[in-house]
Amino acid sequence: MALQDLRPMMERCSYCAGCKFIPFEKIKSLRFAENCPSIGYYNFMTYSARGRFQLSQSLLDGRAQLDDTTTNAIHSCTSCGYCDIGCKITRYNLEPLEHNIEQKAYAVENGKILEGQKPLIDNLKKEHSMIPGTKKANRTDWAKDLNLKDLFKEKAEVAFFAGCKYSYDPKLQKVAQSAVKLLQSAGVDLGYLGAADNCCAGRAHQMGFFNEFKDRANANIKSFETAGVKTIVTPCSDCYHSFKRQYAKLGSTVKVLHIVEYVDQLIQEGKIKFTKSVPMTVTYHDPCHLGRLGEDYIPWEGKEKKILNQVHTWEPKRPRYNGIYGIYDAPRNILKAIPGVNLVEMERIREYSWCCGAGAGCNESNPEFSAWTAGERITEANTTGADALVTACPWCKDNFVNAVDEDGNKIEVLDIIELVQQAI
Amino acid sequence: MAFSREIYKALEDIVGKDNISENISVCETYRSIPAQTSAHYGPSEHWTPLPQAVVMPGSTEEVQNIIKVCNKYGIEFKASTTFYSTMGYIGSDFALQLDMRRMKSIKIDAKNMCAIVEPFAIGATVQAEAMKLGLNLNIPGVGCSASTLANFSSWVAFGPNSISMGQGSENILGLEWVLPNGDVIRTGSLGSGDGWFCGEGPGPSQRGLLRGIFGTAGSSGVCTKMAVRLHPWPGPADFPTYGMAPAYKADWGPNFKCYTLCYPDWKSWARSVQYFHESDVAYTGHRQFNMFGRDLKGAMIEIISNPDGQLADLEELLEDEYIKEQTEKMKLDYQIVIVGFSEKDMEYKEKAVDYILEQTGGWKSEMMLDKDKHDYALLYMTRLGHKNLNYVFCGSYEGIFGLSSNVWKTIEVVEDAAALKRKWEQDYNHIAATGGDSSMGSLSGIGGGGATGWEFFANFDAYDKESIRGVYKLSDETQKFHNKYAFGPDFCRWNSDLRRMDGYNFTQEEHNEFYKDSAQPWVFAYQYKIREAINPNNLCGSYFRTLDPKCLEN
Repeated sequence: MALQDLRPMMERCSYCAGCKFIPFEKIKSLRFAENCPSIGYYNFMTYSARGRFQLSQSLLDGRAQLDDTTTNAIHSCTSCGYCDIGCKITRYNLEPLEHNIEQKAYAVENGKILEGQKPLIDNLKKEHSMIPGTKKANRTDWAKDLNLKDLFKEKAEVAFFAGCKYSYDPKLQKVAQSAVKLLQSAGVDLGYLGAADNCCAGRAHQMGFFNEFKDRANANIKSFETAGVKTIVTPCSDCYHSFKRQYAKLGSTVKVLHIVEYVDQLIQEGKIKFTKSVPMTVTYHDPCHLGRLGEDYIPWEGKEKKILNQVHTWEPKRPRYNGIYGIYDAPRNILKAIPGVNLVEMERIREYSWCCGAGAGCNESNPEFSAWTAGERITEANTTGADALVTACPWCKDNFVNAVDEDGNKIEVLDIIELVQQAI
Repeated sequence: MAFSREIYKALEDIVGKDNISENISVCETYRSIPAQTSAHYGPSEHWTPLPQAVVMPGSTEEVQNIIKVCNKYGIEFKASTTFYSTMGYIGSDFALQLDMRRMKSIKIDAKNMCAIVEPFAIGATVQAEAMKLGLNLNIPGVGCSASTLANFSSWVAFGPNSISMGQGSENILGLEWVLPNGDVIRTGSLGSGDGWFCGEGPGPSQRGLLRGIFGTAGSSGVCTKMAVRLHPWPGPADFPTYGMAPAYKADWGPNFKCYTLCYPDWKSWARSVQYFHESDVAYTGHRQFNMFGRDLKGAMIEIISNPDGQLADLEELLEDEYIKEQTEKMKLDYQIVIVGFSEKDMEYKEKAVDYILEQTGGWKSEMMLDKDKHDYALLYMTRLGHKNLNYVFCGSYEGIFGLSSNVWKTIEVVEDAAALKRKWEQDYNHIAATGGDSSMGSLSGIGGGGATGWEFFANFDAYDKESIRGVYKLSDETQKFHNKYAFGPDFCRWNSDLRRMDGYNFTQEEHNEFYKDSAQPWVFAYQYKIREAINPNNLCGSYFRTLDPKCLEN
């Protein structure tokens, strides 16, 4: 797919503003009505999905050029995918997220990237991690004393995949360790990829670095096959999306579960039992790549077919990802099962959740924009009166921990596994 | 022609460097392609001109200062909010686009039942804030994604709620307006320092100019703040909904009902509308889902109320016997919402609906009584959040015909209009074949009596140049139809004297040619004098119809 191939989509946008607001029926206040971090921060139309469609036409027609402002606009998108959901409320034949990422790839192909993106990609190529400064040699240090089976040496029912953030961040390593112990204590036969544990490269894909993504993804898929991996459990939402949606496109058949799905299942089966009360009011942040972008991949190959003269359909019928089958209930089930926890909801939840701001490497490449986006969410969380903001993604957690709301206040930020651990 | 550094610096000093751009890529995204959106001068393949810069003012004072700079240097300027309509885009090569996005505040004055809104406050946010205090507003037919202020001040602003709340022009109260010469005027009670509650005084009235249908059509200065009348809302303050995207639904209890009422013939239909207009029973009334077309509406309702529905399901659904039967029964229909302010009130309104149906031989659509469909339609009609389904078939539509008249007059011609469109669907493939009649629009406004404003959706593909050109040819035919029945300009020609097909403004000379032989040329000459007074440098484009009085001297 090339940017030019999406030209029909660009010319069929109807300027409806659906990509900029939460579904209009769901609006409960002026304050939390909007839902595109990019135009929310930069304000110019260029930064919305609609503006991006128009920008692509201008670039392809030679009226606009990939100068610094344009490059910044293209890459100042967290690939959170809300525009895609908002568009699909009333349009059945546009794919704004696919276009946004393809537009980034167009910039990358033309050598137009942001200064802050280079270290991420360099580190991915050299050290197989998307956290600059981290070394391949230290990737599995966090797992040293956990009795995890090396899947290249022993068989195990489930492969645990921590992902870069949990593997290297000292604070988050503890969460990964807790997650492993939790599963082990519930009797799960757990292994890991050992020396072949490498970055999923999903964030490279979100940034439009398609070649780098494919190289790493293909290598990882080969490792899965060699190690005989049938099921992967990951606590990272980015890895979850990569394996479930992007790797599946490349032919991976591994079953992918986010840890919240597994833990929810183990609670229901009585294999995880809570013994302590955690008296706390919490609100839950749906990570984009677990929620609206966490739907199953459905293979499709086909072409556009017009019926009734001009009505656009697809032959065969094309899967329509409108976010509704993402992972929303499992984390909420867990929170409701923890004694003492009172869950209160924010206004922007589930398929129209607001992004944390870390997506597509923006926390590294565009830190001010990323921090503003996180701050917006902290403001929303504090409006609920919750004691803590709980999430199920290390990138979200890390971005929230460092953010403040519009009045300069913080909120306690917890990974859902930390909360589960408190109750056991 | 690019702005000089002196001009750019002057503008940047007003709004700050983060709120102005002259970057080509940024400016390119502030052009309208009239094939992709509602232009009302026929679909066109041309983009509107490239603005030389885009500014985002954050206050009335900043707007005023920007306009003063424009006057100093002779720069055309145009403000827009959501940039949906082509009307809000500049029309020359030396022009500044104002993006009003930063001005979006909403203040609800519950005591005086009004909302004071800035330009970027869209219908959905105004409604959400109003409902917290038991109030609601007329959301125009364009839908809740559009600016309340822009619609009320500069365009038509009638819609489903107009039957109980009136149209936009009937709901404007106090108003703050930066004139094209940079002066700020405050109208209605605001003008005498008495607050926002009244549109007619004791300060100056605005009815002659900023009053919706059509006034200056957004072509004179920038309206920065407006008070709009609010109306009682007896429903839940937090607007609860349920269901999965995109098929959200609402169940607000027994005091909220949405019915699709159907009739055996157009006379019965019109009589029922007359009864509803006179009885004050309907909270909302609109011919809504017929926008999908007489043949397709049953199948489309099935698709859009199902989260997994797809357009690819259409062909199969069109063969379904139950859908076929229900669609046939809904041939001459409209939707109403009735709202009970008490149990007794609801009981009365239910009885009144049944009585009207009895008197006119009508019935409630069985399909639309199904809970899923009912709750979908109730939510749809109350917020108009799914209005952009207008575009669902192929990405674009042009509203043709636009039968704006008394219901009795409209029903005399509607079948002929439907036949004309159906013939076009059969003879060519430019537009989606939806069944001829795809008329959609209001039943009534408070002040307008039983009035229709019906556009027929001609759905076309903006990516297919033949499809675009075909619709333009179709509009030649529909205009002839309008001439024959004395309906005035076809809806898709309403703006054809206001912006050229190539996206540029008309010159005064061209306007003079248009209007000098019109039926009432002095109206346009009078507007010329108004423009001379408030817009001496003629900097706001050509959407305000003017005729140089010299053309009438002989």
